[in-house]
Amino acid sequence: MELTDWELVRKCQAGEMSAFQDLVSRYHQKVFMVILGLLRNRDDALEVAQETFFRAYRKIGGFQGGSSFYTWIYRIAVNLAIDAQRRQKRNPLDFRENMDGVLESQDEVARDPFADVHDKELRENLIKAINDLTPEHKAVIVLRTIEGLSYKDIGAILGCSEGTVMSRLHYARKKLQDKLSSFL
Amino acid sequence: MKDCERVQESLGGWLDGELSSTDSDWVRAHLGGCGDCREAQRRLEKITLVLHGALASEGRNIEFLPFWHAVERRIAEKRPWHVELRDWARGTFSAPRIAWAVPAAIAAAIVLFSVNSYFSSWRGSGARNNFTSVDSIDAYGQNVALLREDDTKTTLIWLYQNQEGENETTEEPPQSAPAF
Repeated sequence: MELTDWELVRKCQAGEMSAFQDLVSRYHQKVFMVILGLLRNRDDALEVAQETFFRAYRKIGGFQGGSSFYTWIYRIAVNLAIDAQRRQKRNPLDFRENMDGVLESQDEVARDPFADVHDKELRENLIKAINDLTPEHKAVIVLRTIEGLSYKDIGAILGCSEGTVMSRLHYARKKLQDKLSSFL
Repeated sequence: MKDCERVQESLGGWLDGELSSTDSDWVRAHLGGCGDCREAQRRLEKITLVLHGALASEGRNIEFLPFWHAVERRIAEKRPWHVELRDWARGTFSAPRIAWAVPAAIAAAIVLFSVNSYFSSWRGSGARNNFTSVDSIDAYGQNVALLREDDTKTTLIWLYQNQEGENETTEEPPQSAPAF
């Protein structure tokens, strides 16, 4: 039977490294996706994702279970990503290259070549539009999209109220729709 | 039309399952009969789908073992003290975490100012007033008083004579420039 997050946390606190490995295995892709949604660069996102789990390992002894493990790990990830984003001084050329990489790696097979081109354009412009949002607006939309987290959980991760999450999401979605109106 | 505006404002919350059952039923009923709002729903769903697709395909490319080994290396390595200090400082003093400090500093300044004002007036005549300052200046030999009042932000300027004849002089007023 698969152990719950909390049971794995307790084992980590007792010094079992394999339990921490299980937690990393459970969350590493999602944490990476959240960070990639916030940062522009895949390598930076990987670096921040690894740092997230390193920090979690160092602090897991003090984790009391007041919130769920995923809320806690996403909180660390989002804070580190926002810090990294503020420090990030990439030039636009670098950015384009990185985002092209994201677009190229789509593994969906489109049956209609026109739809494929249209979808690729939409993806490209969507990622650009998301990068124009503030870190706070980007964070709500990415957390909601990837994990389908409730407003309450997103609020707990970002340290704001559910009402704030709702209004940020509404604003971010409206911005995206306005910018992508010709592609939707 | 007003209903469409309200529905489109609530559409995100409805798709996220965050509306009350009453509001949710109302949005669903409206969507059943409104093509424009269904179109808005389709656009929102498409944005979510495309973004999720783009990020999920990247996430799937991250293999676990190399990732885990990189985390393990970080755990095993001993970081220099200045890196530890920098990380600690970043974590403690970075902007999102010290956001509370600005309102706290403003609140502390207001409290200090209020306490100071209260005790200043209390130490004075005993009767409190809301005058911020009363300045007296001499201009071309005339006594001019300025009174600035806090509540209404009023400044009063008036000329007056010395009642007790203090500093009375028969000399000509000084020829120098006025004091203000």
